Amino acid sequence: MSERNYRLVAILMFVFLGLWALISLFPYYFQFITGFKGIEEVNRITPTFWPDEFMWSNLDLIFSDETNVAALLDTLLIASANTALAVFLGSLAGYALARFPRQAGGENMAFWILSNRMFPPVAILLPMFRAFDTVFGSTDNHISLIILYLVFNMPLATWLMMVFFRDAPRELEEAAYLDGYSPLRAFFKITLPQVVPGMMSVALLCWIFAWNEYLFANMLVGSNVAVNTIQTPGFVQGAQKLWNLAALFSLIAVIPPVVLFLVLRRYMVRGLSLGVVKG
Amino acid sequence: MARVVLDNINKIYRSRRGNVHAVKDFSLSVEDGEFVSLLGPSGCGKSSTLRMIVGLESVTSGEIRFNDAVVNDLEPQHRNVAMAFETYALYPNFTIEENLGFPLEVRGVSKQDRKKEVRRIAGLLQIEDVLDQKPGALSGGQQQRVSLGRALIREPAAFILDEVMSHLDAHLKFQMMIELRRIHQSLGRTMVFVTHDQMEALALSDRVAVMHEGRLQQFGSRDDLYHAPNNVFVAGFIGEPPTNFFAVQPEEADGRLTLVSDDGATRFQPSDHRAATIRNRGGNSFVVGIRPQNLTRVADGLENSIAATVLLNEYSGERSILTLTSGDARLQAVTASGDDVGRGQEVDLFYDPDDVLVFDAETEDLLV
Ligand SMILES: Nc1ncnc2c1ncn2[C@@H]1O[C@H](COP(=O)(O)OP(=O)(O)O)[C@@H](O)[C@H]1O
Ligand SMILES: [Mg+2]
Repeated sequence: MSERNYRLVAILMFVFLGLWALISLFPYYFQFITGFKGIEEVNRITPTFWPDEFMWSNLDLIFSDETNVAALLDTLLIASANTALAVFLGSLAGYALARFPRQAGGENMAFWILSNRMFPPVAILLPMFRAFDTVFGSTDNHISLIILYLVFNMPLATWLMMVFFRDAPRELEEAAYLDGYSPLRAFFKITLPQVVPGMMSVALLCWIFAWNEYLFANMLVGSNVAVNTIQTPGFVQGAQKLWNLAALFSLIAVIPPVVLFLVLRRYMVRGLSLGVVKG
Repeated sequence: MARVVLDNINKIYRSRRGNVHAVKDFSLSVEDGEFVSLLGPSGCGKSSTLRMIVGLESVTSGEIRFNDAVVNDLEPQHRNVAMAFETYALYPNFTIEENLGFPLEVRGVSKQDRKKEVRRIAGLLQIEDVLDQKPGALSGGQQQRVSLGRALIREPAAFILDEVMSHLDAHLKFQMMIELRRIHQSLGRTMVFVTHDQMEALALSDRVAVMHEGRLQQFGSRDDLYHAPNNVFVAGFIGEPPTNFFAVQPEEADGRLTLVSDDGATRFQPSDHRAATIRNRGGNSFVVGIRPQNLTRVADGLENSIAATVLLNEYSGERSILTLTSGDARLQAVTASGDDVGRGQEVDLFYDPDDVLVFDAETEDLLV
């Protein structure tokens, strides 16, 4: 290819990517400015693309209502506990499937676990609902959601961790046994460190799923416990929808996953490409 | 300190794709403090045998004993053996120093003593300058030495070394062999050394066990393997260049037994002792093996010879290797390097009847 064509491709690429970024970032922009508009300005027929006045006091309105803060904390608790459980259990199960495939049920078992993600999630809702209701007295609590989300996150975590453990050479553990380590110690000291990047990306995927989940949260919780996705549509004053506060609250709810993603991006790319290429 | 005994070991790997019988009826007894090599081509079951000795692989049938105690069901941690892996198996998240010190750390050796030991072993293996690097940054040869060092740093009942020199260049390999031999002499521990390189096996060990297709072919000293190979495989595998083989039939004339190649072109005179064995045994087809080193151009008192035509004269330092034809057969002979015979030249190759090895064509076993 000639030098000029090369430049042309580069320019086209930037134009295209720029446009794409513009389109995908625009909702965030609009959310941002809406979040800091007054309610009168939000309700105008002709939308404004820059607030007449930035209403920083909207932030106060959000944070002074403790149900908002509680919703964020509830979501944080549920997502984190769920992630911790999913990664922990998924690692153990994934290790078993990777190292002792025959004893752990073989390919069929591994595939069955993954297939849990393939049937319509609603199918398990009713039995789960009844189970939580019977065991915990109601479904409106943290533990119900933490367990329910495992239905989706455990198969993912198990499958991905299995792939990562398969890629971690078995001989390193064997060498550690010969050097005098017990299997458990070798697992934690030798094998686990090798799958940390993969584990991080699994944790991130699980956490983001739980943080963003709406459908099941809406059915299970709502009064004692609320999560951010339920809280967001709840900003009303009489018959009036407070779009500015809803926008600002969901903007706040977007920050944690974005920060997490940025912090763990390095692991994410490494971990996932490992799974994709070799799995 | 341990005498390691393998008693009629079998290893069958079972998988969905079928069973692999990797080790067959294998018996071997390694004396306490002995240096034994397991020698055989790739895939013959050497690593499988080692892995059973150290306990990483279950034994399908048979018994493994350390000093008369059966260890079949003993976990690897409790067998007190050190192994260097063919694949190095270095811990990627640890530095070389930590890798080398690992077996000592597990045993609770103090940090200071550990450091001292690590320096010592790194010095022996010439890897002092990479101690604070991670394994990923090292060349294959360096990683291999670290792996060897990690096995040698402690004093177990037995050392098990799997192809630990395969990735070293010739010069380094030679130095390592001397070191290993020295370490063995100073520690006096049992060593089982696996290799597919006969040069390493013959140079290092007290006794060599030759393996082929999962079976032990012969267990003996260098001389046994060289001068009295059990069968055609050992005769062909040991020695460089490889032994020449001829399919032959016995022929009686004037009370003398001659072995004539199937094409009738080459005739060998076996020793009287072997001729008697052949007569006793009867049968019509045998295999003659004769080493290239035992075919000489200089008669020097030898009466027997075969005629051959030179194809190629390869000069290699202090000797030349001749490739020749005799009838339909191709053979090699070693001659002095000054000998400038060329292509097409007819030569007589003299031999001592004692050096004519005769094997049963059916079983391929040596006739004694
Ligand atoms: N874990 C295993 N599962 C199935 N077959 C195996 C396994 N390990 C080795 N084998 C087979 O057993 C045979 C011997 O292998 P190995 O002991 O590694 O030979 P070597 O070390 O002499 O090269 C080979 O055919 C190999 O494919
Ligand atoms: Mg091997």
